[in-house]
Amino acid sequence: MGRLIPNVKRDVTFPAIGSILLFVAFVGAGLVYQSFFGGAGERLVTIALIDAILVLAIQIYVGNTGVLSFGHIGFGAIAGYVFAVLAIPSEQKLERIADAPFGLASIDMNPWIALVIAAVVTVAFAFIIGLGLGRSGAESGSVAATVITLALLFVTHEVARNWPDLTGGDRAGLAFPIRGSLDSRIPIYLALFGAIVVARLYAQSRSGRLAVAAREDNLAARAMGVNPLVQQMSALLISVVVVSVGASLRVYENGSILPDNFFFDLTLLTLVMLIVGGRNSVTGAMVGVGVMTIGRELARRLGQDGFEIFGIGLDSAPLDWIFRENLQTVFLGVAMLGFMIWRPSGLLDDWELDEWLYQRFGRGADPKPDTLPEVDAVNAETLRAADVEVSFGGFKALDGAGLEASGNEVVGIIGPNGAGKTTLVNVITGMVAPTGGNFSIDGNDLSSAPPFTLARSGLVRTFQNLRLFGALTVRENVEISALVAADHRKGRVLPDADSLVAEAGLWEHRDRRASELDYGNSRRLELARAAALAPSFLLLDEPTSGMSDSESLTMIEQVRHMAATVGAGVIVIDHDLAFINGISDRIYALDQGRVIASGTPAEIQADPLVQAAYLGTAAT
Amino acid sequence: MTELLQNLIDGLGRGSIYALLALGVAVIFGVMHLLNFAHGELITVSGYAAMWALTSGVSWWLAVPLIIVVSIATSLVIERVAFSRVRGASDFTLLLTSFGVHFVVQAIFLLYVSASVKNFPRPGWVSNTYSIGSLKVEWFDTVVILVTLITLAAVTYLLQRTMFGLSLRAAAADFDTARLMGVNSNNVIRGAFALSGLLAGIAGVFWLMRAGQTQPSAGIDPMLKGVLAALIGGLGSLRGAVLGGFVLGLAEVVLRSQLPDSIASLTEGVVFALIALLFIFRPGGLITVAHAERV
Repeated sequence: MGRLIPNVKRDVTFPAIGSILLFVAFVGAGLVYQSFFGGAGERLVTIALIDAILVLAIQIYVGNTGVLSFGHIGFGAIAGYVFAVLAIPSEQKLERIADAPFGLASIDMNPWIALVIAAVVTVAFAFIIGLGLGRSGAESGSVAATVITLALLFVTHEVARNWPDLTGGDRAGLAFPIRGSLDSRIPIYLALFGAIVVARLYAQSRSGRLAVAAREDNLAARAMGVNPLVQQMSALLISVVVVSVGASLRVYENGSILPDNFFFDLTLLTLVMLIVGGRNSVTGAMVGVGVMTIGRELARRLGQDGFEIFGIGLDSAPLDWIFRENLQTVFLGVAMLGFMIWRPSGLLDDWELDEWLYQRFGRGADPKPDTLPEVDAVNAETLRAADVEVSFGGFKALDGAGLEASGNEVVGIIGPNGAGKTTLVNVITGMVAPTGGNFSIDGNDLSSAPPFTLARSGLVRTFQNLRLFGALTVRENVEISALVAADHRKGRVLPDADSLVAEAGLWEHRDRRASELDYGNSRRLELARAAALAPSFLLLDEPTSGMSDSESLTMIEQVRHMAATVGAGVIVIDHDLAFINGISDRIYALDQGRVIASGTPAEIQADPLVQAAYLGTAAT
Repeated sequence: MTELLQNLIDGLGRGSIYALLALGVAVIFGVMHLLNFAHGELITVSGYAAMWALTSGVSWWLAVPLIIVVSIATSLVIERVAFSRVRGASDFTLLLTSFGVHFVVQAIFLLYVSASVKNFPRPGWVSNTYSIGSLKVEWFDTVVILVTLITLAAVTYLLQRTMFGLSLRAAAADFDTARLMGVNSNNVIRGAFALSGLLAGIAGVFWLMRAGQTQPSAGIDPMLKGVLAALIGGLGSLRGAVLGGFVLGLAEVVLRSQLPDSIASLTEGVVFALIALLFIFRPGGLITVAHAERV
């Protein structure tokens, strides 16, 4: 595909091996269970295998995007009905739904073709829903997206109940001639194995990683050139394919479909399984299915028979108030509540079997990479911003500010608090829409482009208030940018991600989560992550804030060297005048949204207007 | 013309209840960033209380305050038992916590009452109508609309003119800053849950009067309407929530009467399609609240 996967062994080979192990372990446990419990156990295991497919499907979307979805069982309902309507023999359909539209009642179709069509139809639905999800999610946060998925679940249920011509309605439903028509487990095994492999490979794929970056920090991901809507859509479509297969198999295995089969109960069950195991992990999802299947079965039996199932013959009277019918519903609700309150990340959090194996056996020596050579070619691009205006209500944060920077210099921006420094950077990186003025690289106007387009055009920033991808390791943070650069910064010298990690002095922290880093290291990681995009211009918003004097002096060298290795111009804001004077070739001084002076550090220091703005003495 | 006027009145009646529910959802979203999927459980619990009272011979006049008090108490208990433990957690955790509460409440009634529908007498005047020209107006809708308007006026007064209202609006605008300014977060959050319980209680009175029955899953429908209406209006906006409630009510009634018979039973589906369209073209809802992130 020509796309860079940082590490085939880590991202393909080991996940594939891990998937086989997970599959064998899960199926093995099921076979052991059913050998103890016979016929009833066999049925339980079959259902658990299908549940696992559904839970993995939800994991693909929920785990990678961080958006809670109640709608996947609704998608399952769509797939289940399409499958049933197509695959059930016409003899049975003519009894129940002779009036079905498009002559569907008289169709006899091979179930496996029906399954494919069910998946295609459901994916088409998902694409339309996904547009709304993405748009409202981007505007109002993931909460809005969740409500839309919930509404989808209700509407599919409502439509299934009220469209008896197609669905057989509320009571009768649709049924195959013989219940339990799926007499072999082979298709279920194949589908489950496929689901595990897809879930793991997607998580390690380019799209999966970018989706996770957006999950960790949507704004930072956009600033690094990621378009979250595209990644969330691909996660949605892939997960819906898997859910369609699982739902169709469930219908086939059941031999029938009713609206209530794909509604709240199944939604609760699958979500609890995912949460308990750990939603950010495929291994966790599988563990959750196992634990909750057994737990629920235990609760069901305790509810039915009290302690007698253990044959202890205890007088169970004192616990009668708890061992009642429907205990398993209480069990599921309490499990969800308990995990949300005490362990929201689930049993395994984001632990993955194959990642652990890779760390132990697959990685090898992992030698520290060489330092990067400085790029020879001069970056001849010019960034020009002119007459930029930004108003917040009546307040003019920028009032005609502008600057010019070329790709081979370091330009500093200074000014008192409220001068508009950060706002100017926000405008140039697309985070704030200017109310007037424009900016361009080499004459290409970029004033109205979204943040990810600007990042891909070479305008890349760091954040004053630190926005790293917290759950990802140091190395993975930098790799996100490297992945984007491989696609969108073609024709430039792309720095090696590992070398940048080493360059930033973070090599010994490479496998730690970004959220565990201290302040100075976090700032250096921000810098390395931005540099990995091979930007034309690096915009640094207070890169030394919170650092000691000696640290900020080393930062001068690091910034200069890193910019030189990727061939980027630098625009830097800071309060630390020693740092700014030490690093900048030229300086712009801002006050009240306007440029009041520009020139070399020496000229700026001598400028009476600048002195007035800083010290409050009257300008002459 | 007459038909449209008729629809308008019916829709306002229905929308009033949705507006009260949505406002309750929005108040809590404001202070906790929690979209409360357990909001409908207030009606489930008070519905069982009403069922118990009414079937043991208590009159509706006493059942009304009972429903409201039970709703407020339930809201406060749920806050204490569940939501107070996840304050400040991620959206994901908050959403699933409320979903968990929804299921636990439902399961408790399943376990200790029964899965079946419980009926109770409805007040006699609910289906009485009077005529204005060719319009047939239900007394019920009239009362609902009037009570809702009075409630909204009172809530507006509470929010605009009292110290509690000011703290609540401040907390909704920026919770952390409000705390720094000396707003007591415990009191504001509990107050918000009490207010939300009160609003759900008033809505619940009407909901139950019309339904005349309850069951463990009775809370799903009012919850969905409240949450959807809040979203249509624009999450985070109290005014938007009320507007969203009326819009949703009107849309349902108008569509049900205007759609051709063959698809009239699919009204809910059509309403959803329209909501989906609304979000594609106006992703922030009707009244968009700016979510400025500091960078």
